[in-house]
Amino acid sequence: MDVFEAIKDRRSIRHYKNDPVDDKKVQAVLEAAHWAPSWGNLQCWRFIVVRDPKIKSEVAGTLTKIKVDNEWVENAAAKSIRQAPLLVVLCAEKGKAGCSPDGTPVTDKGDYWFMFDVALAMENMALAAHALGLGTVIVGGFDSAKVAHILDVPSEYTVVTMTPLGVPDHKGQVSPRKQLSEVLFNEKYGQ
Amino acid sequence: MELFEAIKSRRSIRKYKADPVDDKKINAILEAGRWAPSWANTQCWRFVVVRDPKVKARIADTLMKIKLPDREVPNPGAIAFNTVPAVIVVCAEIGKSGGKPGPGGGVEYVTDKGDWFMFDTALAVQNMVLAAHAQGLGTVIIGAFDAAQAEKAINVPEGYRIVTLLPVGVPDQEGKAPPRKELSEIVIKDKFGK
Repeated sequence: MDVFEAIKDRRSIRHYKNDPVDDKKVQAVLEAAHWAPSWGNLQCWRFIVVRDPKIKSEVAGTLTKIKVDNEWVENAAAKSIRQAPLLVVLCAEKGKAGCSPDGTPVTDKGDYWFMFDVALAMENMALAAHALGLGTVIVGGFDSAKVAHILDVPSEYTVVTMTPLGVPDHKGQVSPRKQLSEVLFNEKYGQ
Repeated sequence: MELFEAIKSRRSIRKYKADPVDDKKINAILEAGRWAPSWANTQCWRFVVVRDPKVKARIADTLMKIKLPDREVPNPGAIAFNTVPAVIVVCAEIGKSGGKPGPGGGVEYVTDKGDWFMFDTALAVQNMVLAAHAQGLGTVIIGAFDAAQAEKAINVPEGYRIVTLLPVGVPDQEGKAPPRKELSEIVIKDKFGK
């Protein structure tokens, strides 16, 4: 699939078939993520591939609920996690990206560069999955500490984001995008 | 260019030719950024395309020097700013991604990660570096710079921050792939430490 086609046609998929996913495809998706650039090439990301339905369901239970008309409603992604055969959880090693060797942050972004680096990898993953006919949805609204506990993540790492991985059961909708003119400036901000 | 080829062959380019870059190509890069996903589709990214040599030079000045054991050397990226025809300054609106309107009119963040602007901006940046590479252009993602100073150089308003600097130009080097950890070092099955 052409790069630009992948970028424009990728959608956040929230309904999955429970068709199994070839190991070769999972490998290709993880490799794509891994070939993202990173601060100082530190590659502070770690991927936990969860297939066990019980563990997946426990993790799905940590997703933040939202209030709709005074009712707490489960995030649609929780169902997606239970439906899709795989869940890929992205963790990051803390104190590496954006920090000097002794762990001191080097910029005003503090030690948040792991968020940036993990996202570089996650975007490659989402594109690669799409190019292989698979769906993903980037999930961020969950209880990170609870997920760390469920997955035995050691304290030097933090759970950042996750995505189901599977065959989409729908096309996914196009979320409207701001016009380029709303986000683009020339030479200086606001121009 | 095929996606997997783009992903595997993209390199961080730190040496550029002075050749101009077509606006069409820059727009294609920005479109790619624009089509990234984002928290609740908040699209908090803002792109400032800087071509003016004087502004580029001011931004180059904000790049942090590299500390070697016995001395400091300029960041190679800073030297690139002189030759590269354009720098995309990637900014973000604060208080949107990862949050919702709070009771007092401020923002309430939903996770322990606070504001997700770093994460969302990077989703866009990865699309952009791939889009550049697919058009035969080079980029490098620069994070080690004095954002407060750079913000002054391009009049970034309150409520917005510069996240990263992306020089874009015709590469003057092959670009070497720095070694990657083995997949086995970073992929875990089901639970950590298994």
